[in-house]
Amino acid sequence: MQKLAKGWKFAFPVLILFFFAPSYGQIQTKPIVNATIYGKVIDSISRTALPGASVQLEGVTHRVTTDEEGNFNFVTGQKLPATLVVNYIGYKPKIVIVSELPIEIVLEPLLNQLSDVVITGYSSQSKQLYTGSASQVKATALENRPAQSFDQLLGGQAAGVNIVQPSGALNATPVFRIRGINSITSSVYPLIIVDGVTVFTGSAGGDVGNNPLAGINPSDIETVDVLKDASATAIYGSRAANGVVVITTKKGKPGNAKATYDGWVSFSRPFNLPELLNAADYVAIKNEARTNAGLSEGFVLGQDKNGKNIETDWYDVAYHTGVSHNHNFGISGATSATNYYLATNFTDQNGIIRTNNFTQKGVRLNLEHELNKLLTVGVNATYNNSVNSGPNTGAIGPNSVAASTGTSVNTQYIGLQPLGRLTYILPPNVPVYLEDGSYNINAANGNIGYGPNNPSLGVFNAYNLQTILDLDKNRSESNSFVGSVFAELSLLENLKLKTLYGLNHLQVENTSFRNPLSGDGFVTKGSATNGTTKYQRASWTNTLSYATNFGEEHHLSVLLGHEIIKTSVDGWGATRSGMSDPFFTSYQGGWTNITPANNIQSEHAILSYFTNINYDYAGKYLLSVNLRRDGLSALAKGNKWGNFGGGSVGWNISEEEFFKQSAVVSTINALKVRGSYGVVGNSSLNDYAALSIYDAGTYAGFPSLNFSQAGNRNLQWESSKKLDIGLEIALLNHRLNLSVDYYKNDIDGLILSAPQASSQGIPGNAITANVGSLYNQGFEFAINAALIQKEAFKWNVDFNISTLKNRVTSLGDGGDIYPTSLSTFGIQNVTRVGYSAGSIFAVPTDGVNPQNGNRVFINRNDEKVQYDAINKSFSYLDGSVAPRIDNYADGRILGNSLPTYYGGLNNNFSYKNFDLSIGIIFSGGNKLHNGTKATISDQRYFNNGVFIKDRWTEPGQVTDVPKLVWGDSFSNGFSTTISSNVEDGSFAKLKNLMIGYRIPLGKSSLRNYLSSLRIYAQATNLFTVTGYSGSDPEISINGNSINSGKDQNVPVNARVFTAGINVGF
Amino acid sequence: MMTLLIIKNRLFRPFLFLFGLLFLLLACQKKSLELAPVTSISEVDAYSTPEKMLAQVNGLYGQLSNASYFGGRHLVFNEQRGDEFSQNDGNNSTGANVWNQSISASGDFVNAVWTAAYRTINSANILLERLESQTFLSEELKIAYTAEAKFVRAFTYFSLVQTYAKPYNQDPQSLALPLRLNAEVSGGNNDLAFSTVQQVYDQILQDLDAAEEGLPTGYSSALLNISRAHKASAIALKTRVYLTLSDWGKLIAEAAKLVPDFSPYQYSANNIVHQLEGDVTQVFGGSYIGSEAIFSIPFVIASEAPGQQAALAYNYLSPVLYLNEKGIASHEVFADPSSTDRRKQLLVTNANNQKLLNKFPHNSAPYLDYIPLIRYAEVLLNYAEALAQTGDLSRARELLYAIRHRSDPGYNFNSGVVGSQELVETIYTEKRIEFLGEGFRSWELFRKGLPLPAKQGNAGTAPEISPDAVNYVWPIPSSELAYNKLAPR
Repeated sequence: MQKLAKGWKFAFPVLILFFFAPSYGQIQTKPIVNATIYGKVIDSISRTALPGASVQLEGVTHRVTTDEEGNFNFVTGQKLPATLVVNYIGYKPKIVIVSELPIEIVLEPLLNQLSDVVITGYSSQSKQLYTGSASQVKATALENRPAQSFDQLLGGQAAGVNIVQPSGALNATPVFRIRGINSITSSVYPLIIVDGVTVFTGSAGGDVGNNPLAGINPSDIETVDVLKDASATAIYGSRAANGVVVITTKKGKPGNAKATYDGWVSFSRPFNLPELLNAADYVAIKNEARTNAGLSEGFVLGQDKNGKNIETDWYDVAYHTGVSHNHNFGISGATSATNYYLATNFTDQNGIIRTNNFTQKGVRLNLEHELNKLLTVGVNATYNNSVNSGPNTGAIGPNSVAASTGTSVNTQYIGLQPLGRLTYILPPNVPVYLEDGSYNINAANGNIGYGPNNPSLGVFNAYNLQTILDLDKNRSESNSFVGSVFAELSLLENLKLKTLYGLNHLQVENTSFRNPLSGDGFVTKGSATNGTTKYQRASWTNTLSYATNFGEEHHLSVLLGHEIIKTSVDGWGATRSGMSDPFFTSYQGGWTNITPANNIQSEHAILSYFTNINYDYAGKYLLSVNLRRDGLSALAKGNKWGNFGGGSVGWNISEEEFFKQSAVVSTINALKVRGSYGVVGNSSLNDYAALSIYDAGTYAGFPSLNFSQAGNRNLQWESSKKLDIGLEIALLNHRLNLSVDYYKNDIDGLILSAPQASSQGIPGNAITANVGSLYNQGFEFAINAALIQKEAFKWNVDFNISTLKNRVTSLGDGGDIYPTSLSTFGIQNVTRVGYSAGSIFAVPTDGVNPQNGNRVFINRNDEKVQYDAINKSFSYLDGSVAPRIDNYADGRILGNSLPTYYGGLNNNFSYKNFDLSIGIIFSGGNKLHNGTKATISDQRYFNNGVFIKDRWTEPGQVTDVPKLVWGDSFSNGFSTTISSNVEDGSFAKLKNLMIGYRIPLGKSSLRNYLSSLRIYAQATNLFTVTGYSGSDPEISINGNSINSGKDQNVPVNARVFTAGINVGF
Repeated sequence: MMTLLIIKNRLFRPFLFLFGLLFLLLACQKKSLELAPVTSISEVDAYSTPEKMLAQVNGLYGQLSNASYFGGRHLVFNEQRGDEFSQNDGNNSTGANVWNQSISASGDFVNAVWTAAYRTINSANILLERLESQTFLSEELKIAYTAEAKFVRAFTYFSLVQTYAKPYNQDPQSLALPLRLNAEVSGGNNDLAFSTVQQVYDQILQDLDAAEEGLPTGYSSALLNISRAHKASAIALKTRVYLTLSDWGKLIAEAAKLVPDFSPYQYSANNIVHQLEGDVTQVFGGSYIGSEAIFSIPFVIASEAPGQQAALAYNYLSPVLYLNEKGIASHEVFADPSSTDRRKQLLVTNANNQKLLNKFPHNSAPYLDYIPLIRYAEVLLNYAEALAQTGDLSRARELLYAIRHRSDPGYNFNSGVVGSQELVETIYTEKRIEFLGEGFRSWELFRKGLPLPAKQGNAGTAPEISPDAVNYVWPIPSSELAYNKLAPR
């Protein structure tokens, strides 16, 4: 291995020279004589103009590109007839002899999908010649839809891509998966590249959402290429295990400068809130539980000063109709040497949660300029400021930008401050305000006041939500720059050297304030935390690409590359507490204590060499090889370097003569089979994962050192072996396109936080080691059909569906893997050999014993055990003593938390000036843990769902709600996860419905000012078909973690109605 | 087509130069993979200077003062399992399930206490190994640090064996714990057979004997004297261990090292004095570094202090726990309106008429109360019980009176002090009064083989747990069971 590493070091420059040396060519120019050749380039099928096609006179370098109308025009010294070579990406190159002017040049597309190229970040390739597995999402699928970040919009748009919108909290990071889960304790987040720059992902906002991807304005995006198999991703080597998403932003199109304005306004409402008890029912139910426990009643239905019953709807305190608006303005254009795209955006969004506000201002400049025949330079840059503020909702996923681990869990859902939980548990029979207008607060502990209830009911550890919304503050501000500058040197027409320097600078400032009256700030007499973190990733990428044809039919392209990526995180902050005067509301005010908070200083580097070789013979036989060698600073000396790579082959059967001669050609227009295999890795390790380290602290004020991480010097690269076999077919005059893929990702030597017996006393009870393996396999189908293509009426359908089977095949010597921290509130997910990662785990139950109202559990020996909540005792149904039920020992895997199938159906209609699109997403085959149901059946002061009225009350009664016993948090699954809260998570959702109208400008005076005008109305989350009894089967609180499928105590999703306008000037 | 002619073209020479520069730059980048943390110290350097060695020693106590452990929660759990307190807060995250005896092997707290304890043990084991091989410390310091590590290890094992194993007096030969005595720095040693209760106690006593031998008599400041183990700390802890084993002879031998035969009861060695403070209420209430403290955790700065739910003050005053009417709070010392016992001053009554323990009064964050882990008063009462058990009733009475009269000088014991067994009971009761809320209650029930009594509180009810019930002591946590194949099931 070491030797190989040295070999590479020397081989590389030599290789480079090898490609370099024979490729110097002289550029000849001839004197220009005044003659003009002009004409138009069009598509052979649609007969529409092709802007941007390259037209060149044979034998000379004089070249022009067609304008927006497909026209070209050049002045030359040549006499007619002349020979023109016309090239356009995605079309067959054409050589035409011009003898008459103007000339119409008809290009035949390589495949039906016009101008379809796959952009891999380092290069691009025509889809027809591409042998990897990739899906592309185009700008049209992302435009004009309300969202905070583009990833929220990708659901259902591409085969193999699974997006889950976790809650209605603004800018919460969605779950983003490509072909399942490809790690267990390393990050499971895909690699995201924007114009060659690897961007930060995760949650950066502390208590409020801050998705760094919000820094990429969806309307600036031209294409999103999702690279899935080894062939497509291997060029990203060690970072590609979870798939790669390559985003290309818009460029100016040839022609005059074009200005556009796009704006929308939207209204969001919470939908499908669980129905809770009203005050009268609450009082009755709670008193019944008290009485059953042998305790005095204590809940009282109170009256206000007008004699009306006190009835508080905490949903009204928490939610409202949020009004948002969004504006984009852009100018773009291109001349023969320069193309530019300049855009600004502004958004001001108010979510369904009161006080939750998201504003963003951004500007983008994309510029590419051909300095001379040799050198092209350019810049793609965006600067963005976003501010999200609002309450802690409990919905923010656990994966931070700096540390993204697969086993992370959200622990906020049981925190005291978060809004989601408070809406479910706050008693409905206590007022928000007292008669004198002050907040209803228990002055002894800062909780909600007892109202009419007896204080001997014990602690109501719930805060008055109104005080939290009014007085507490959380704010997360990001200033981000994502950009790159590049220079491309054409050493020859077909030999290019490109150097690109990319920078992603993300500066996040999180501030919070907790009031001293009620809420988390009570015990500290108020507190304020400020923290600022600078995430910086700088990359330098150098590629040398060479393309050549030898013979007539051999096409070869070679890319050699080098890249270095340095990432650093630098954060600091503090918490101040003990307000010196109630006047103060910010960190900078007067306080009596200060403790450090949010301190981090860490960096890592990846150094890489890579190559991509593509060869095809006559467009029939395709071969592609990718190799990458990565060195990572986080690994120990001797293990730093890893080799990754993939190869793929393809066969365009439809290019074969026998195929062209056969009768099928009239139905089957194109047919390609392809296969790929390769090895990629996962480099999302702790920055110093291999080291054993000690952290400083104090004891009694004196310096101390504590063993904080047990390292592993033998830590190596994990390898993810990806296999993909695909078939692409175009039918009925290219109107029906179908692709089918079988994939299998085998991950070996998984980098795992291998659990250690806790008696070893290892920090975190885990060692990072290469143990374990898992695989994902399945099929992907994508169908694109242009069902109706009449002049006036068009109907396009896009359908995709993916299947997924995820299995953990080994966890080394260790046993099951639980979420990172055990919770006193049960274990919902377990990763176990033979099952899907992060499977749903619960103790099976068998209803309620009709004799006594006890919950019946099924223990590890398949015996029925009932729980007497009064005596806290377990017995068999015959009354003899049974061992206690334990979540770990008696729990079982009840199903996978990952859907086994998912996809989307998108219909686009247009009739004259109207357009209509209907987007449906679906997924299924997974289980969901309905934790909110556990919360709202808890027998403390918590409010309950209306279903609680079916509780057991008398012998013989058959019901699934046990007898109510005050203080019981066990029978209904709040402290131990039970199967009666586990439900099927399958659903289909009408995610998006849009109707638009292009206003004909006709002869109106507007025509002098506008070139196009469209208005539209749009609705999101209109309708869900599901058997799931919770609010929304899409809710998932653990973010990009393997512990998915948990819905508990977070705000519901929003239903959004939008009206918008698109103007072209 | 390609040709080499072009190389001669001047136009390309600058580019050739650029290429050269580029590859030179690339060659220099290898070093960029050599990154080391700047905010943590790597294993190689962590024991490299005398200052770092001292910091490692301090780190042991830091581990012990973990919020899940002796920094707060462990003590609260020991009280919640007993009967002195009623649960006011039904929330499991404040231990409602500990109080109502329904926590099981996969419960968070069952795992957290175990994990915090074994991290402390492993830190001690690592330090012990490092001390053996290190070269620059003076022999004196090496011996002292070794003794401190053994003290901490013994202190930790004692709490573990009390929490997770059958009481010694019930079955010394039952399997207790994995007895980890070697440094674990790279994991992999998951499987270790459990040792018996007897073996664990043998190890504890062996460590404490060695600690007594090697520990200094005292340190250079009062803060250090209470916060780090010294000779008296090891001896005092031994009286607690022998009490648990009902080994009265050994207990008496150890206690006699700290307690003279006659009043005034005082231990002094070099610059250190241990004795009862004049006013028990002064023992609590904050930054206590008086002579009664033999070993305490001093939370002196905000960043060390435990968080809300772990803090003793929060638990006792918010309150999570209020005094059970049927517990020791009903004793005349606390309940009799005419009682003038100073310890009554340590209780307060809140607006809801709940009686609360006010030994740790700093009920707002940062929770900067000191936590006493060994007090001189305990040694006197341990000694008294041993003397009473072995028939030396008069000296036992004198020690009992010393405790009572410190708080209520005029009090006369009119009953319960004549016969040996009734005197033992009286001393036992005095200990409940004196150490209310300091984390002793369930341990005291265990050593006597008494059931954990049934109790009632605002948060519900808790059943009686008899000594033969499986949940009499806490189960071995799931984080051990899942990965140690040799753990008994």
